[in-house]
Amino acid sequence: MADDKDVLRDVWFGRIPTCFTLNQDEVTEREAEPYYLLLPRVSYLTLVTDKVKKHFLKVMKAEDVEEMWFEYEGTPLKWHYPIGVLFDLHASNTVLPWSITVHFKNFPDRDLLHCPSSSIVEAHFMSSIKEADALKHKSQVVNDMQKKDHKQLYRELGLNWYRSADKFDQFWAMNRKLMEYSTEDGGFRYIPFRIYQTMSDRPFIQKLFRPVSPDGNVHTLGDLLKEMDPTALPNDGVVFNIFPPVCLRRSFMSLTLSLCFSLLSSLFRRVSRPR
Amino acid sequence: MGSWKSHVRAKLQQRDQMSQLEERFEIRKQILDDVQSKSIGRSGVDVGKNTRLLQLQLRESEHLAEKLSQTVSDLTTVLYLKEAELQYWQSRVSHCRQEALTLAKGSNTLKATVSQLEFTAECQSKELAALRAEQKGLKQTLAQAWTEKEELLQRWMEEKREEAVRLNKYNAAQERWQHWAKQLKRHRHRDMAKEDIPIATSSWSGTTQTSPSVTQRINNTAVIQQGHSDHNHDSAAAKV
Repeated sequence: MADDKDVLRDVWFGRIPTCFTLNQDEVTEREAEPYYLLLPRVSYLTLVTDKVKKHFLKVMKAEDVEEMWFEYEGTPLKWHYPIGVLFDLHASNTVLPWSITVHFKNFPDRDLLHCPSSSIVEAHFMSSIKEADALKHKSQVVNDMQKKDHKQLYRELGLNWYRSADKFDQFWAMNRKLMEYSTEDGGFRYIPFRIYQTMSDRPFIQKLFRPVSPDGNVHTLGDLLKEMDPTALPNDGVVFNIFPPVCLRRSFMSLTLSLCFSLLSSLFRRVSRPR
Repeated sequence: MGSWKSHVRAKLQQRDQMSQLEERFEIRKQILDDVQSKSIGRSGVDVGKNTRLLQLQLRESEHLAEKLSQTVSDLTTVLYLKEAELQYWQSRVSHCRQEALTLAKGSNTLKATVSQLEFTAECQSKELAALRAEQKGLKQTLAQAWTEKEELLQRWMEEKREEAVRLNKYNAAQERWQHWAKQLKRHRHRDMAKEDIPIATSSWSGTTQTSPSVTQRINNTAVIQQGHSDHNHDSAAAKV
């Protein structure tokens, strides 16, 4: 794990330059200037957009303000998806900065979950942690953690966008426990992953997948992609908007590229590839 | 193990590189400075913020248009090249198609020849099989004939052996008889010599008389000699 710290850091400090623009249909007292922000990939929109909200509320009347939600080129952005996944799904081929439109009315109930407070985000985050740990360690690690440890995990994630190196160390001080396994076990019980698809009705694929085959061979990313979608080409898998080598062993990827949500989020990109 | 990490790190750095954004920022800054300096230089009065913004947007649009036209020009060049390449490959494809057709025709002809030869070979193999069967039959017949010939030869040899034995026996008997005949003759002559004296004695009477016993012996001897000579004659005739 110490050797992988460089990769962990690069993943942790991944940022997306974003330009938030208020929707033209919103009623404002004066023209709203766009708001620019570097969004951390490994966080959630509702956690890191307080300043955006404050900026636009300055030009709006209180009575016109409902729950804030975001949209990109007509597609509502799901706050419960990591920011990096949202960008890779919708906007990876566009020119930076990523232009997101901010709305304060007409919340799309059919497309988005409501997020009235940050406790909802925390609950979602902890749910992901527990889900991943159930797959990896039969929930033993997360059940052994105390509530303050859970809080610390979530807090470091939420404060991540301050780009403080300390947050990285403090986060990993907790997350490390979730990423360890004994040598007797030989690895996680199952690899927690989720494959988001750009060209499918199903939002993502999530199935049980062991890190080692029955005959003792360690599985690679290519093996996973092949099993989940036999028609996928070898280089269709995108993780954090990069094309990792398909020979990469799943357990190492899971260790280094899984972060706060402990779920390895992969993306199937079929038609277009970022060049 | 290290190779995947360096690959991933390189890709992450490439992904997070914001060089394009920085480039655009630099261009904007340059244009803004340019516009600001021009606007102050013209009238000596600081032109309004909106005007500067408009000028900035105009300059940026001009710059983008220039970049786009350059891109269009590059793309057009690439397009021409690709079209030429496409035409070349299309001609290659049609050439290969012609070649494929020719080869297909040749292949069909060869297949027909092969099937014909196969048919001929089959007929010949059937013919060969029939000839071999016939040969086998003939060999069997020949073997049988040889066997019969051997048997006949054996029988003939056996018969000849028996005949030789018989002949030897006969010859032995003949010799014995001849020996006896000689002896008898000798006796006869002796007897005749002895009887001559009585004949000579009776000749004084003028007749010659042979004793009846002597006559009988002479007749018997003559008959036996005659019989043996006839037998010898028959045997010699059979040998021939």
